[in-house]
Amino acid sequence: MMISTDTFTNFGRRQASLKKLPYVVIAETPNPIRQLDEGTLRQRAKGMLDTIIWGLTAPAEAIQKHNQELASKTVRPAGIVRASHPV
Amino acid sequence: MAKETQVHGASVAEVTLNAYEHAYEQGWTDGLPIIPPSEELVQRFVAASSREARESIGVLPPRSGVATVEVIAVNAVMAGCRPEYMPVIIAALEALTDPAFPLELIQVTTNPMTPLLLLNGPIRHQLDINYGAGCLGPGWRANATIGRAVRLILLNVGGALPGIYSKSSFASPLRYSYVLGENEEENPWGSFHTDRDFDPEDSTVTVFRATNYVNISGGEGVGPEEILRHIATAMPPMYLGGEGAMILLGVNHARNLYDAGVSKQEIQQKLWEYAVVREDHFAADFVATEKAAGRTGPGVVRRTRLPEQIYVLVAGGPGPQDVYISADMPQTRLIPR
Repeated sequence: MMISTDTFTNFGRRQASLKKLPYVVIAETPNPIRQLDEGTLRQRAKGMLDTIIWGLTAPAEAIQKHNQELASKTVRPAGIVRASHPV
Repeated sequence: MAKETQVHGASVAEVTLNAYEHAYEQGWTDGLPIIPPSEELVQRFVAASSREARESIGVLPPRSGVATVEVIAVNAVMAGCRPEYMPVIIAALEALTDPAFPLELIQVTTNPMTPLLLLNGPIRHQLDINYGAGCLGPGWRANATIGRAVRLILLNVGGALPGIYSKSSFASPLRYSYVLGENEEENPWGSFHTDRDFDPEDSTVTVFRATNYVNISGGEGVGPEEILRHIATAMPPMYLGGEGAMILLGVNHARNLYDAGVSKQEIQQKLWEYAVVREDHFAADFVATEKAAGRTGPGVVRRTRLPEQIYVLVAGGPGPQDVYISADMPQTRLIPR
């Protein structure tokens, strides 16, 4: 289970793929978060709870299928070998 | 064995150009043209290494690619190296893949950090590695292509594709090649490698994690205090400054300091004392981080935790210039004779 800002979500998926961790579920929230106050941070955390609970309780097969569908689009986008904008 | 790719063209020039175009499309280059790594050239480079082609030198993150001698040779050919550079590149890869060296961080971070290679000993003359005037600039094949070979290996074997696995926001021109020799001949104290108990006749390569390059200009006809205070102003505490700083003393200032009776240890001590900024200049959480790392003093943030983490070397040519590089975590390897 990983918590990430959206800037790093795809990067997190790539790292999980490289480290051969197929069942990592990523709960994301929009970047930036550093300057947010406590109340806003709590709301952001609440918004990620459903994903976190699903990631911790869903069957492995469901997580793997979900991740495989995402991976085909995000881990190594076909034909892209360099990117000046996030991919 | 590496997989072969065939490229065709109506002339040698066209084949060379087509090879570059193909390599660029595959993401195998640093953006610059490459020498096509033919099987014959690769075998010549493997032979020059005196190692077996299939010998694994290291596993490179983040892709966990295996850098065999043959794979290193392929990238060295592409970079434009000479075969005799192979022992240096292999020793550098051994140092980079030491578990104590933060290679994975360098490969994926948003920071522009990159390996810096320092060469000591007779290898500098044997391979014409520049340690004098222009030593960090263009013009010397060994400096340019050894560093380039390392970068291509980090890219092609480690997988640090820019924007894909490498998240460096700006990267840096230093990522093309960052290689120099120490100017031991004009160093009135001991060299970097003899300070670490190597013999003067040993050849070594040391890899550092380096983040920047800052030229420090000025200080003609002034005394040692003024020289050191001037240098210290160019090396303030910095976020992710790490555990070290490298000072390349220009030959003029090195001689001035030595003639004034200043030892290398005194230089380190004085720079450590002078390279401070008042803590009220910084955000509170930065000061707290530096305090936890041991890099503060009474009311100030220091550049390094200890004086001996300021690496003092001599390099370059005549002129009132010195260089500060945020460089730490050195790993040194002997280059076989």
